[in-house]
Amino acid sequence: MNKNNLKGFEFFRGLVAILIAIAVAFIFIFICADDPAQALSCLLIKPIISNGALNVKSILTILGRTTPTIFTGLAVCVMFSADQFNLGGEGVTMLGGFIAVLLGIYLPMAAGVHAAVAIIISAIAGGAVMLIPALVKVKLKSSEMVTSLMLNYIILYVVLHFLNNTFADRTKGSTQTYEFLETAKVGTVVQGTELTYGFFIALIATVIIAIFMYRTRWGYAIRMIGINGQFAQYSGLKVGAIIIASQIIGGVLSGMGGAIECLGRYTTFRWLELPGYGWTGVTVAILAKNNPIFVPLAALFIAYLNRGCELMAIYAGVPAEMLDIIQAIIFLFFAAEQFLSKTRQKLVVKEAKQEISAKADVKGENA
Amino acid sequence: MPDNEYVVQMKGITKVYPNGIAANQGVDFNVKKGEIHALMGENGAGKSTLMKMLFGLEQPTDGEIFINGEKVNLTSPTVAISKGIGMVHQHFMLVPNLTVAENIVLGMEPKSKGFIDFKKAKQITEEYGKKYNLYVDPDAKVRDIPVGMKQKVEILKALVRGAQILILDEPTAVLTTQETDELFKELIHLKNQGHTMIFISHKLDEIKQITDRLTIMRAGKSMGVHETAGISKEEISRLMVGRDVVLTVQKEKAQPTDTVLKVRNLEYTNEWNKKMLDNISFDVRKGEILGIAGVEGNGQRELVDMLFNLNIPDSGTAEVNGKSIIGRPQREIRDMGVSLIPEDRMTYGIAGSATIEENLMSDRIANKKYNKGALFNTQAMHDDSDQLIKDYKVLCKTRNQQVGMLSGGNIQKVVVAREFSCNPGFIIADQPTRGIDVGATEFIRKKLVELSREGAAVLLVSADLNEVMELSDSLIVMVNGKIAAYFEDTSMLNDTIMGEYMLGIKQQSDEEVRRVIHE
Amino acid sequence: MLNQLTSMIFTTSFGYSVIRITAPILFAALASVVAEKAGVVNIGLEGIMMFSSLFGVLFAYWTNSWLVGVIGALVIGAIFGLIIGVFALKLKTNIVLAGTAINIAGSGGTIFLLYMFTGLRGNTANLTTPQMLIPRINIPLIKSIPVIGPIFSGHSVLTYIAFILVAVVWVLLYKTPLGLRIRAVGENPNAADSVGVSVLKTQYIAIMLSGALAGLGGAFMSMYYSQSWNTGITAGRGFIAMAAQAMGQCEPVGTMLSSLLFGFASALGNKMEGLPGFSSYLVASIPYIVTVVGLAIYAVTQLKKARKRG
Repeated sequence: MNKNNLKGFEFFRGLVAILIAIAVAFIFIFICADDPAQALSCLLIKPIISNGALNVKSILTILGRTTPTIFTGLAVCVMFSADQFNLGGEGVTMLGGFIAVLLGIYLPMAAGVHAAVAIIISAIAGGAVMLIPALVKVKLKSSEMVTSLMLNYIILYVVLHFLNNTFADRTKGSTQTYEFLETAKVGTVVQGTELTYGFFIALIATVIIAIFMYRTRWGYAIRMIGINGQFAQYSGLKVGAIIIASQIIGGVLSGMGGAIECLGRYTTFRWLELPGYGWTGVTVAILAKNNPIFVPLAALFIAYLNRGCELMAIYAGVPAEMLDIIQAIIFLFFAAEQFLSKTRQKLVVKEAKQEISAKADVKGENA
Repeated sequence: MPDNEYVVQMKGITKVYPNGIAANQGVDFNVKKGEIHALMGENGAGKSTLMKMLFGLEQPTDGEIFINGEKVNLTSPTVAISKGIGMVHQHFMLVPNLTVAENIVLGMEPKSKGFIDFKKAKQITEEYGKKYNLYVDPDAKVRDIPVGMKQKVEILKALVRGAQILILDEPTAVLTTQETDELFKELIHLKNQGHTMIFISHKLDEIKQITDRLTIMRAGKSMGVHETAGISKEEISRLMVGRDVVLTVQKEKAQPTDTVLKVRNLEYTNEWNKKMLDNISFDVRKGEILGIAGVEGNGQRELVDMLFNLNIPDSGTAEVNGKSIIGRPQREIRDMGVSLIPEDRMTYGIAGSATIEENLMSDRIANKKYNKGALFNTQAMHDDSDQLIKDYKVLCKTRNQQVGMLSGGNIQKVVVAREFSCNPGFIIADQPTRGIDVGATEFIRKKLVELSREGAAVLLVSADLNEVMELSDSLIVMVNGKIAAYFEDTSMLNDTIMGEYMLGIKQQSDEEVRRVIHE
Repeated sequence: MLNQLTSMIFTTSFGYSVIRITAPILFAALASVVAEKAGVVNIGLEGIMMFSSLFGVLFAYWTNSWLVGVIGALVIGAIFGLIIGVFALKLKTNIVLAGTAINIAGSGGTIFLLYMFTGLRGNTANLTTPQMLIPRINIPLIKSIPVIGPIFSGHSVLTYIAFILVAVVWVLLYKTPLGLRIRAVGENPNAADSVGVSVLKTQYIAIMLSGALAGLGGAFMSMYYSQSWNTGITAGRGFIAMAAQAMGQCEPVGTMLSSLLFGFASALGNKMEGLPGFSSYLVASIPYIVTVVGLAIYAVTQLKKARKRG
């Protein structure tokens, strides 16, 4: 099928998936809420419009919330493009945040530089850690998925160990580190919102990764390997090295995301469990169809729904966790190749018929 | 009126595939009760298709099938099995980690109180094994038993399900000589028990040894049925190997110069202990097209794999311009000026969901021409892709179309465009025009000749007799992993000679074969 | 330090807790085995356990019977298995992604559903009555044997079922026609197809069985282990189960052993909390490190074997 028509169809399919999810959400809302109409408006409208006017603060907060999931979404895009089911983004995000905060506390530097250095080192650490599932896959031919899942928990417990035993601020009530220095902070753009400069770094990262995937030979290699590994090898691409590289890049991005989130939104490190950005990153990548350029849009969509569910919880009493059900439904239908396949078949046939009749018309004119 | 003598009658069978290819045209095929009947033909002659229809894996476009005089509609293997037809596939349908007995009773497990009655399963296996002289170890895991026994298990599977008619698809392809002898003893035993067998093969010696009658197929049609004893090998060869239409290719006479590819003493035994390459030595020179003729399965596949590091030989060397290509990463092989048009274009030749442009550029993305520092020089890529699409007449809307959506011929043209445009000094073309339309075929062949005359060395492997005889300047014939013949000038060849060498009736002396080495 | 350790481990109460902690992991690990054997990988164990643990409590609450609760959890598990099956086998969703979606739905979706059904937020502590909990059994005779008695007697009904299921799954896979077909379909679907075995039907059955087993694991958590349902009750057991299955080489007995290993490490971690010189967190990470190392060693041996053959 023509590529443009294909894109159009995919868009339509995505839309149907989202509508199904919202329909299901509506059913749930109808059952739960005392005032279903209000709940629905909280979910869909209130995130950006309240009291009849545009709620700028809310919009900016939503944008701010996309920051970590843009990074994890990009990470998953890169890794899934190479057909690697590395789910280690969860752990690496936490690791990145932890290392960044520690560097923020114990390695004083000039303002601006401090944050940058902390972020970069955390990113490198993230990449290094992802070597484990990568090497296990390439050298030992063993599942990167199981290894990366285990890695998440190993990182979790190692971080918790050091957090509790070495770096904890005993003066505070809940478990957390000391505050990191102001010089390491990633500044808030607008006071009172959750929007930090990290958001812009995320956008820059999106552009860089998009260019990397579609305009460089390494991104090209990653994508070809993901489509057909044997073809890639036959064409002379270094399959093993590139598979490893794709996972390292995933680690770098996840680590960076965790670092920026911790240095931006918080003042200490206080994650006591895996933050969940890794899984959201998978959803974002699925929605973006593994195309980096769509990641911010997908992340925005999820953040919007997130905010909507939050508001729904506050004002209509419907638990915000419905977000997970909506996410899962969209996820499932988005990733279902055969969903609406009959419709796609009809479109293909229709297009073919149109072409044939168009050619016949031309012939008729010429005759 | 259907005769009672015949267990299988296939009348006027025609099979046309959706892409227009007619695999069978009006074929009549009849098998008498209790005989071993050979179904012969080269690859692509239509014998596999015919048997697929007999086993319910495909349905005929036209024609009728009678089993024991009763008209049947074989819509699935289950139906075929119910009519007493069993098939022993060339590639075994066995589950390696299950035992022999488990494989045999799979799907019809004897039960006792809901559990599998293993004793009964073993009993059934041993009973049938004894009855048919097919000795297998019921408790052994299939992954541990030798190939010969695996085949016996496959035969038993069919017999246990009540097969009176057995279709054996190239059964000796994976067997050693010893195992082949054993198989033949078993088949005679089965025959004596009243079973009927259809023996698909192209090996003349074996057919002469064990079959009663034979049917020859060529280009989708039946060339008639004969008593095995009453027809000579030469006659069989003439009927089997021959072209209805001879396609001549316009080309100037080759003037080969230096040797580019030197293959010496390649040896390879595959995982089933079959020797696929037996002391293979030959040269390919600049400016010549050397063809490799032969029925498929005689080592050609393995040879090509060795030359592009898709497999490693047990011993021997292969050098391009003095440098070894055995075991070298494909990147380096390509940098040495070697190109490959792979037989399996969908697996190796293209990335189906990538664009035409991405497929055209896959071997050259690291070139300076296409890179400005870290980024692609997209304009150069676009320009060159468009040029290639034009030069190779790839029928498509834009370079951004998914390559997998193109017709087979156009897909192959993309592969060829890529492999020919990197200035190769040595081209390996493996079945380059299989399954594609006439226009694309002509185009690719012309291009191959063009490149050869411009100085490239070409190794052409083809099961298409026309192609290998008309396109090659010289050719070798491979039989059983050996080079059976070398013909310096293909224009001197005719179908009869080709058939005799391809089917092993004749063989050149070592001296004559050694002439393919030009030192 | 070592003395402290040994004095802790070699107590009957420690042995008892190892068994108790292993049971839910074992359910999920067996679920993973059955699915994997049929060639349909079930990644969604965590999510299925979350849903079934919630519904187990709910069903028990509504009928005031723990038995209905357990059966309900089992059925819910099977249903989610079916959902994964439909998306993976019919709609051609990548089966890993389908399982991941269930996991994502599970973590928050259960909180939501709890509210929807009961108006409670986060946990069911207020709901649970003794009739809703899985009862314990004191096995006569055994309970009186010194050492063995206190370790093996007095567990909940479901605990014993978990270990009995190891044998049941083994028998299913190796002694029944269904098990034979599951193994055939998982290893060579073409071979199964060629003898008329329906590959799809077999895979659907396998994944539903897998879901049901995971469902029992969920029921164990909420109706016995924690005595009520709360968010995060499964705490990653679904993933540990996958690792246990991998380390156990996808065989029931091996999986039981690796599940016990995790149970041991987990029980050890619990005991060591608060003790000087030990970090319970590092101990908690041991099972995961062991899995990665174990998988690596297994992979190396497989590679060596292949090299010898080729």
